[in-house]
Amino acid sequence: MQFGIFTVGDVTTDPVTGHTPTEHERIKAQVEIAQRADEVGLDVVAFGQHHNPPFVASAPTTTMAYVAAQTKNIMLSTSTTLITTTDPVRIAEDYGTLQHLTDGRMDLMLGRGNTGPVYPWFGKDIRDGIELAVENYALLHRLWREDVVTWQGRHRTPLQSFTATPRPLDGVPPFVWHGSIRSPEIAEQAAYYGDGFFHNHIFWPPEHTREMVELYRSRFEHYGHGSADQAIVGLGGQVFMNKNSQDAIREFRPYFDHAPVYGGGPSLETFMRETPLTVGSPDQVIERTLGFRDYAGDYQRQLFLLDHAGLPLKTVLEQIDLLGEHVVPVLRREFDALRPAHVPEAPTHASLVAARGAQAAAPA
Amino acid sequence: MTYVLTVVTAGLRTPSSTRLLADRLAQASGDALRRRGPDVDVEVRVVEVRDHAHPVADALLTGFPTGALRSALADVAEADALVVVSPTFQGSYSGLFKSFVDLVEPGVLRGTPVLLAATGGSERHSLVVEHALRPLFAYLGAVGVPTGVYAATADFGGDGSAALDERIARAAGELAALTGGGAPRPARRDEFAQVTPFEQLLARAGAAGR
Repeated sequence: MQFGIFTVGDVTTDPVTGHTPTEHERIKAQVEIAQRADEVGLDVVAFGQHHNPPFVASAPTTTMAYVAAQTKNIMLSTSTTLITTTDPVRIAEDYGTLQHLTDGRMDLMLGRGNTGPVYPWFGKDIRDGIELAVENYALLHRLWREDVVTWQGRHRTPLQSFTATPRPLDGVPPFVWHGSIRSPEIAEQAAYYGDGFFHNHIFWPPEHTREMVELYRSRFEHYGHGSADQAIVGLGGQVFMNKNSQDAIREFRPYFDHAPVYGGGPSLETFMRETPLTVGSPDQVIERTLGFRDYAGDYQRQLFLLDHAGLPLKTVLEQIDLLGEHVVPVLRREFDALRPAHVPEAPTHASLVAARGAQAAAPA
Repeated sequence: MTYVLTVVTAGLRTPSSTRLLADRLAQASGDALRRRGPDVDVEVRVVEVRDHAHPVADALLTGFPTGALRSALADVAEADALVVVSPTFQGSYSGLFKSFVDLVEPGVLRGTPVLLAATGGSERHSLVVEHALRPLFAYLGAVGVPTGVYAATADFGGDGSAALDERIARAAGELAALTGGGAPRPARRDEFAQVTPFEQLLARAGAAGR
């Protein structure tokens, strides 16, 4: 099972110190956070894509390429790549290049983005969100699998005899996850292609996660990619830890109370009860996270949101240390012990290359 | 046959004249329903919106209702007949009442008969039922009963008292007549149970994949 962190790349004023990081500080901090995650043995670091303030995450593949050069083992992913407003030809080229530069140490997660004003900046309309996700990915899927593509759709210029370069590393396209909180169409899309499905699993009650994951699993089986419990599921999660759980609550409360996403709304206690947010000791985080399996089944990837709401870099790095030292080793052991042998790990470039080799060697 | 009669009342004070009117409408509606036959039973569920004031604000910010508010919204969705009573604030239904209604899932009230009622400090606001409540519930696809009930201070024990009794009885009779019949209530489509197959999504997206 893979464990890691994901970020949206927000610039938020620290409510305790009043300090607002510059864009430069925040971008460099993302690199440092990824380096630390690599050092403590996390498997994945995922970067967001946003095109409006207060975010600095407009060019994820640039950041990812730089991070890849500064890290050794950690896999780079996205949370999410905007499949609606980004030209699928550019996605094929940018992530195709990244795949070569990283020797396959990457994958990507596609999402629609939920901010209405962003769409017109790229000539799109949020009301076409699902249609854009379906059409654009259908094209991206072909660009990575067919050397010459002739294509026509509704939302971009037709392509005549187009070849997306570079061609995928070892002829194996990057693994794709599809992320959605509430749209059954996206779970259906992930199932149709046999791709991964990721539920953000923060800010919302677990019931939403259960419904979406169940749908994805049953449709994955329907489309003949394997049994429902072999589908590739990823979950988000949000934690803040201190060895003393009361200190964790005390330290995190001002950030919670002022965070743009939930500030002025429910209490921290309500949010902890109603959503997967866990603020407490590493043991509490371990117990809660193991419970995700009760409604999502045996899953392949767990990403935690740690750097947001104005938390200072030093604190975020401490959180990563706690995750790497006290939480992930236990979770890895426990989850691995619970998972039946026929449930696969999340695909990596190496496993995809091996699977293709096995397929080619099999008698027709 | 058991009908669920849900009463949404949005008064803020205790005792509340809005709640007083809501209770009278609930009683009269229940009686009118039971008069339809010996086999008719009525389950009355009362939603006191004030009890959910903070969760309503939280739900607007987070996008999901929690705890008792979630049950209250389910009571509204499951109603065979609905009674709504809002106080009149600044010439319209109260903000808290509207915020609660804003959390009702789209489509769940389509075809539900609803008795529209309001209270106010002065007779001059009596058209609030017609100008504010009726268009709101028309938007939601609910079937508003013809008689709206408005009660001002003078209607409680004053000259208007007898007329109010009459209006309550008439509106309750109309609500009972529309319950369990009238406009068909379409079954709610469970988008998780009946997923649109991907080939259809692809086709909708135009020539994608061709």
